[in-house]
Amino acid sequence: MPVKTTATGEPLDAATLRELRAIVGAEHVRHADGDVTPYARDATPLFRARPGAVVHPASTEEVAAVLRLAGARGIPVVPRGAGSNLCSATVPLEGGIVLVLTRLDRILEISAEELLAVSQPGVTSAALADAAAAHGLLYAPDPGSRSVATIGGTVATCAGGLRGLKYGVTRNYVLGLEAVLGTGEVIRTGGRLWKDVAGYDLTRLLTGSEGTLGVITEVTLALLPAPGTAGNGLAYFPTLADAGRAVTRVIAAGIVPATLEFLDARCVDAVEQHARLGLRRDAGALLIFGDDGEPAAVAQRLDRMAELCRDTGAIEVSVAGHAAESEALLAARRCTLPALSRLGSITILEDVGVPRPRIAEMVGHIDDIAGRHEVTIATFGHAGDGNLHPTCVIDKGDDEAAERAHLAFGEIFRTAMRLGGTITGEHGVGAAKLPYLTERLGAAQIDLQRRIKAAFDPAGILNPGKAGS
Amino acid sequence: MTGFTPDLLNRCIACGFCLPACPTYALTKDETSSPRGRIDLMRALDEGILPADDPRVREEAAFCLGCRACETVCPAGVQYGDLLEEWRDQQWQGTGRPLVARLLMILVDARWRVRLLGLLRRHARTRGGPQGPSLMLGCFERALFPKVSRAARRLFPELAAPAAQGCCGALHAHNGDSARGRRMAEELGRRLPGTIVTTSGGCAAHLSSVLGRDRVKELSQYAYERDTPGGDPAETAGRPRIALQDSCHLRNGLDVWREPRAMLERVGTYVELPSAGTCCGAAGTYALVRPRDSRRVLDAKLDEIEAAGVDYVAVVNPGCYRQLDQGLRRRKSRVRAVHLAELLAGERPRRRAQ
Ligand SMILES: Cc1cc2nc3c(=O)[nH]c(=O)nc-3n(C[C@H](O)[C@H](O)[C@H](O)COP(=O)(O)OP(=O)(O)OC[C@H]3O[C@@H](n4cnc5c(N)ncnc54)[C@H](O)[C@@H]3O)c2cc1C
Ligand code: SF4
Ligand code: SF4
Repeated sequence: MPVKTTATGEPLDAATLRELRAIVGAEHVRHADGDVTPYARDATPLFRARPGAVVHPASTEEVAAVLRLAGARGIPVVPRGAGSNLCSATVPLEGGIVLVLTRLDRILEISAEELLAVSQPGVTSAALADAAAAHGLLYAPDPGSRSVATIGGTVATCAGGLRGLKYGVTRNYVLGLEAVLGTGEVIRTGGRLWKDVAGYDLTRLLTGSEGTLGVITEVTLALLPAPGTAGNGLAYFPTLADAGRAVTRVIAAGIVPATLEFLDARCVDAVEQHARLGLRRDAGALLIFGDDGEPAAVAQRLDRMAELCRDTGAIEVSVAGHAAESEALLAARRCTLPALSRLGSITILEDVGVPRPRIAEMVGHIDDIAGRHEVTIATFGHAGDGNLHPTCVIDKGDDEAAERAHLAFGEIFRTAMRLGGTITGEHGVGAAKLPYLTERLGAAQIDLQRRIKAAFDPAGILNPGKAGS
Repeated sequence: MTGFTPDLLNRCIACGFCLPACPTYALTKDETSSPRGRIDLMRALDEGILPADDPRVREEAAFCLGCRACETVCPAGVQYGDLLEEWRDQQWQGTGRPLVARLLMILVDARWRVRLLGLLRRHARTRGGPQGPSLMLGCFERALFPKVSRAARRLFPELAAPAAQGCCGALHAHNGDSARGRRMAEELGRRLPGTIVTTSGGCAAHLSSVLGRDRVKELSQYAYERDTPGGDPAETAGRPRIALQDSCHLRNGLDVWREPRAMLERVGTYVELPSAGTCCGAAGTYALVRPRDSRRVLDAKLDEIEAAGVDYVAVVNPGCYRQLDQGLRRRKSRVRAVHLAELLAGERPRRRAQ
């Protein structure tokens, strides 16, 4: 993958800058080189483009005024939360304004009575979950990046997480939105109701729209009663195929666990090398299973899952005795990516999805493809929902390796689609996956998506060069 | 420019996990004043995308508190403190260094001047060369808070405290002269040959990085290992309520934070402040170089301290001592800042009248 940089990012003209300053205040408009350089990228490696200006609005009205101005002048606007996305969704490939929503950082309401929260977009996912927990409530979506990712960003990418199978993903929790369209119009979709079918479901359409349809300025989210307890167990298998069979048996037994995460042997090796958690390195795969709910029920389900793993040929199975041990098990999963990143200087984390029964088959293909392209790819992911993260580590400046990785991932995406899967399970399309989107959706749907985009954003200013373009 | 160790710079995977831990990001919500943003600026310098005299690059090298809170949450193990030293080594050459830092560095550069600093103050001192462990007197603590070393010696009479020991060089290391900072630490290590006990978390971290962790003990560690008794834990009535301000480098650099809490529990009722582990804004020379930002960082903490209903807020670093003492005085708060050593030595300064 060659480094994507563009020569745009010319500072905006003086008159535009002046008007922007009048809208949000002078200190919230930045355009000098040093000020905007860090906004040339997000958490995605290899993509970089300098914005013309960075603007930090503090209210819906300011967002609307910025969009009206940008629409009239045809200036691209890239909404940005924490910039933790992994698909170069916030890289301003066509220059223009990076519109940062982090100053909109208030939780407006937590209602235990109505089981909902109302929040501004710049609040982090973890802060919202903590606020809910203080009321004995659960905000279920828990992306690995929850401590940094913003509510706006997680809604705009429809973020998943470690408990997708049981709890679903962000879209299952968005009840209503306030958003500013590319025209500067402010709309409020959905609301505080679980049942509401008045009109098209624009809430769902905006969820996962990656900043290409509107700027989200307020979110109403569904909460659940917090589960009494959570527990985890761990099983080693001779091969990933065995682990895959165990997952199938667990679900066939009527258990829908909160956690079913797997690591392939390369991941286990890397984790052990870096974190020394005492994991076995002689197995072909590691499966972490877990559930939450009433203590007795959790214990029973954990035992049952352990039994099913043993029956499917697990080499070793253990169930955590208490909460701290349980957390320690998850640590293995949480530190997989950083552990892998230590193998080189650039870490390309991908995000394909396949139907659950085909996980082992897919991982087999990934190994095969990596071998043919002479790159090292380690795979971990969410066994419960078929979402895999093949991860390739290369060295900075090794353009040949980058190109080989690029080709390998192209094949991996196509293989996933052939197996009935997708090019991205939770990280999004951004600019990184755009080249594969037509293959995934077909020409007719791409056309329709463009027409939808044009209806929300007739001037085409919102996050150009990404999904919908 | 190639003043950065490539391995340090390449370690960062740009995940952004450090953003919520950073006090300056909390103030601005601007990526450019976050740890990841600063590392990106360093990379831009390294790759020639930005020149060394870019005003924002200069500003961020100074705006950063150097508290290293970002290190504790980094999944990739980025050693931000080391990167910052390398960054300031490049940016703060000669006149690039803030004037106050320059003056202070000159002041403590020679041993005789450090000695002079404490000459008129009654800090602890013993004659002759040390035999066993010795107490580091610090350069500014001996001048500003001589009572701390006296308290430490009362607690641990075995500690030698020769006046001619110089400065540990942390000041230099954090202000753009890490080579000199190392040499000064080595020199101090020669003058105090055994275990060095220090009442300053910041000095402990710097000394440890040069002399190795075995040679250096911060006071709470030393006290904890010796099982130093405090007051009578059974006697609850009249026990003071005490909060703690962690020393950033002690906590984030050396992972020492349980020890001061354990010690405080022996002398009073310990109250954990929500922000106990985050920087108070003293940050070495920061409070002098950037008083406005330093106060912005401090203000929220003072609110917390007052809301916590405590008698004392304990400190384990002279910079924090000065910062909190002044902040609380300015507010005419009744809460007193006091060093852990003083509390352990049995001192109970009276609450200030309102
Ligand atoms: C280590 C690591 C682990 C991760 N783990 C997971 C995981 O488990 N599951 C998962 O799904 N993702 C994961 N991610 C990816 C990322 O954290 C998510 O995509 C997250 O939702 C992004 O939130 P953000 O605030 O950083 O958004 P940004 O990265 O700033 O933006 C993401 C997209 O949302 C748009 N956007 C942001 N805010 C708004 C707004 N207010 N209005 C309109 N559009 C907006 C942007 O234009 C962009 O298209 C991980 C990332 C990292 C680095
Ligand atoms: S947490 Fe560490 S790896 Fe992630 S952006 Fe910050 S410094 Fe870089
Ligand atoms: S050292 Fe402190 S102020 Fe500097 S980047 Fe890290 S967390 Fe922020």
